[in-house]
Amino acid sequence: MKPALLTERFYDLVAPDIPNEWDVEEVLESLIDESDHVCEAILGHIPIIWPVSHSLCFDFLRLLPKTLEHLNLEQIPRWIGITLDHYETDGLRAAQRFMQDDIDQYLSKLKGCGGLSLASIEKKLLPYIRGIARNDLQIEQAGISYTDTTSIYVPEELNFSPNNDDNFLLYKYILTFQWGFIACGSFINKAPSEFTHIECDKDTFWLRSFFASFEEPLLARDIYHCLESIRVQSFLEQELPGLMRAAGKHLFPLISLRNKNHPLSTLQQVLIEDNLKQGSLLDHYLSKRERKQYLQGQASVYDSINLSSKMFSKFHQKNAEYIPISPLPFQGILKLRAVETARKIKEQKMGEHFADMMAAYLLTLSRKELGDLHKEDKLDSGNEGLAESDISLIMDSEFAQTADQDKEAPILITINNEQLELPAELEEFTKNFLDEFGHLPANFLSSAAGKAGQAMLEQDVQGQTEESSKQKDTLLYDEWDYRRQGYRKNWCSLHFKELTPIHSPFIQNTLDKYHGLTIRLRHQFEMMRSQERFVKRQREGDDIDFDALVESISDSRAGISSSDRLFIRLKRDERDIAVLFLVDMSNSTAGWVNNALKESLVLMSEAMEVLGDRYGIYGFSGMRRARCEFFHVKHLNESYGEQVKERIGSIAPSEYTRMGPPIRHATSILKEVDAKVRLIITLTDGKPEDYDDYKGEYAIEDTRHALLEAKTVDIHPFCITIDHQAKDYMQHMYGPANYIFIDNVRKLPLRIPEIYRVLTS
Amino acid sequence: MEIKETRLEEHLITQEPYYLASGKEIEIAISAHRNCLPLLLKGPTGCGKTRFMQFLAWKLQRPLITVSCHDDLSTSDLVGRFLIRSGEAVWMDGPLTLAVRAGAICYLDEIVEARKDTTVVIHPLADDRRELPVEKLGELLLAPPEFMISVSYNPGYQSVLKDLKPSTRQRFVAISFDYPNPQMEAEIVCKEGGVDKKLADSLVKLAGMTRSLKESGLTEGASTRLLIQTGLLVQDGIDIHTACRAALIEPLSDAPELLAALQEMVSSIF
Repeated sequence: MKPALLTERFYDLVAPDIPNEWDVEEVLESLIDESDHVCEAILGHIPIIWPVSHSLCFDFLRLLPKTLEHLNLEQIPRWIGITLDHYETDGLRAAQRFMQDDIDQYLSKLKGCGGLSLASIEKKLLPYIRGIARNDLQIEQAGISYTDTTSIYVPEELNFSPNNDDNFLLYKYILTFQWGFIACGSFINKAPSEFTHIECDKDTFWLRSFFASFEEPLLARDIYHCLESIRVQSFLEQELPGLMRAAGKHLFPLISLRNKNHPLSTLQQVLIEDNLKQGSLLDHYLSKRERKQYLQGQASVYDSINLSSKMFSKFHQKNAEYIPISPLPFQGILKLRAVETARKIKEQKMGEHFADMMAAYLLTLSRKELGDLHKEDKLDSGNEGLAESDISLIMDSEFAQTADQDKEAPILITINNEQLELPAELEEFTKNFLDEFGHLPANFLSSAAGKAGQAMLEQDVQGQTEESSKQKDTLLYDEWDYRRQGYRKNWCSLHFKELTPIHSPFIQNTLDKYHGLTIRLRHQFEMMRSQERFVKRQREGDDIDFDALVESISDSRAGISSSDRLFIRLKRDERDIAVLFLVDMSNSTAGWVNNALKESLVLMSEAMEVLGDRYGIYGFSGMRRARCEFFHVKHLNESYGEQVKERIGSIAPSEYTRMGPPIRHATSILKEVDAKVRLIITLTDGKPEDYDDYKGEYAIEDTRHALLEAKTVDIHPFCITIDHQAKDYMQHMYGPANYIFIDNVRKLPLRIPEIYRVLTS
Repeated sequence: MEIKETRLEEHLITQEPYYLASGKEIEIAISAHRNCLPLLLKGPTGCGKTRFMQFLAWKLQRPLITVSCHDDLSTSDLVGRFLIRSGEAVWMDGPLTLAVRAGAICYLDEIVEARKDTTVVIHPLADDRRELPVEKLGELLLAPPEFMISVSYNPGYQSVLKDLKPSTRQRFVAISFDYPNPQMEAEIVCKEGGVDKKLADSLVKLAGMTRSLKESGLTEGASTRLLIQTGLLVQDGIDIHTACRAALIEPLSDAPELLAALQEMVSSIF
């Protein structure tokens, strides 16, 4: 393709952006010698990458010769998808690295050499490991496996075997094995009695100080890690024999030691050998008793500490540099700093929770006591120490003499020198905190006192509390890119806006105009209302239907076969419906359409009030992905009052129709609502469209995806449109029978309530 | 095949049902009966509430009349109604009236499932009046001392809409049930499911894992009852993996990911 044509096409594709000409020419150079077909195919990817990152797009073009050497045109879209995923999760650098260096790895995967991504199985493995661990562990991605005790880190992808069943098993085994370290208490933070001489500061894990006390800390760490791995495996043998059987059969035979000559390799080998061999391998290092302990799961973490200390001299070679052993795939590494950080975060979180609980408790105390606290706190504002000095947490000294009785000792709180016992819940929490972190959460007391004081202050100053409950006014939503078959992460920001209520005769005029219709609608909707009514002539029921009975007796006397429907039954029709109306406020609705939409909303609301279904009304509009707007007209539980009426009156056309974000937000609102039937009804006049590249197929596919997301959580989307070309795309977006086309705008107010009635009865 | 028929109010439990007490619930219930107090049992599905009632009925040697409540249950369903028999209206006692007349124990299972206006009918029976007005007959039945009313519900999964009214709740002596501790639960699974101790321990371990999945979307974990049923299948020769799938995993959820995760737990344990 000619350079000038290429450049022109490029500028077309990235409009309205106008990138630097030099840059563009430079990156397009690689395409000059390619055929038109290849150029078109490559240019076709520009609109996918450009909006996400300009520099990534340039890099893509710059690296094109290398890419085209390795990948054919059909492989490129998927490759771009993965690159963008890298960009969105780890940033530009990671995406560039992937483009530049990982193409071979990507290719080997494409060639069918297996490879299982965490993303594809995480939904299955997360509940698995949480069930096994019986707590809320997280799974995170990392280059190498380890755990920080709150999350387990595993590789993003496993390419361990061509068979993905084996890869899955390895994932499962890594997770379980790492949990094993937590369950077996490998991350010990308390010095065993023999090692109390090792000094350790407050923020460092004792284990780290223990390793540091050796001449070669890495060797000490590796010995300990191997011993603990054996211990964990024996523990798993007992706890999860099925998993160990599967691992022994399918995983261990595939694992080979990376450095067989490493002095610690025997300790690793034990982990992948069968039971018979294990004992003999350990002969050399452990006594018979120790062997038995380790292989039968009776050893404790203290045994590992002692043994590590003992074995160190056996393995340590003076004057030779120690090269750490590479861990087995499931063994991972011990990352004590990560454990420390996680622990600090946990301590902080639990501390804050404690502060909240304590603040709530303090607020229940008499105002006088607390008032003093607050006053003193304020006198020296900024100095939290003062509050702390007035309020402190102690463990009853009589009980706290011996460590064993810790748990029995009541925890007392002193406020202004007066001692109070903590309420049971708070006391239990405090004791758990003590168990876990070895000290009382006393340093969070000042923050509790501050919070309580603040809360009181706010109670005093009217209206201040409203501020704190104010909703966050922007949310980020993903957007579906059909070309990429994936989401653009956090792509659109949805701003919540209030419509200014306007005093206008609009509502009254509408009601006058449709006076007859309103009455009819009210009547119709009344009939649909959930109600209890007696139905006569039933086969069974609560009472006898005497009319039917008399008839039946006379029938039988007369020799006619008599009916067996002789009862009256109380029938209840319960409507449990929540519905959100999403109103298109784009520019194209200006004029008649907007008026008709508003009139429909008025009639609908009048009718809905009679019916009693929960309903909310929101408008949407906006321009570009950074400013999608979501207007509040009526929340689900808000009553239909003057304010709502005025807001309906003030609905006015403004900008574009980016449908994805408002539908996604409506879904998230309805998801929280407990109702038998949940509906999103969109009122629109045309296709989804925005000022940027949100047009045509892209916009339709994103909207369709947003609707599919709603359907997966059991919310029924329905669309009422007045677009003449609606049939082309509506069926694709909403599915058959989930939309209706109204040809005459003026009929809209009449039709909408009718449609709703048919839809929900 | 022979079908045995007994009249509801004469239904006595003759053989001691297996029940392993986990606290003082038996003493409390017997004392409540002695003092003519109604009983409220709360606890998760399948933890032994109904079995406890059977045991209590056996211990007290009173007939046990159980009503499973549902949202269509009307007052007439409990008290009684007129039926037409050969052209005449004949009164038919409902289970509650039967229980009062026979001095039996009336057990309303999952009471919160019934509509609130229906549950109100037990109010005069559940306080010191101990009377049941049968309006349609114009009768007021006074409950004999042997009569006891007992209700149960599961506080775990009902919505706020289905909570017990305080006026109903505050008439009862309440006993809270939970799944037994692992040793006891294993003992129960051994005895009832007819499996060996090792298998029972593993089943209990599995149940413990499923019970911790609340955050992951499983509202309620495997109940003791499910464990027993799994045990029974195994005892009948079905292999453990299939038995767990059929009797333990599938009844818990329909979500494919959760099912897969549960299946992985089973294959790890067994």
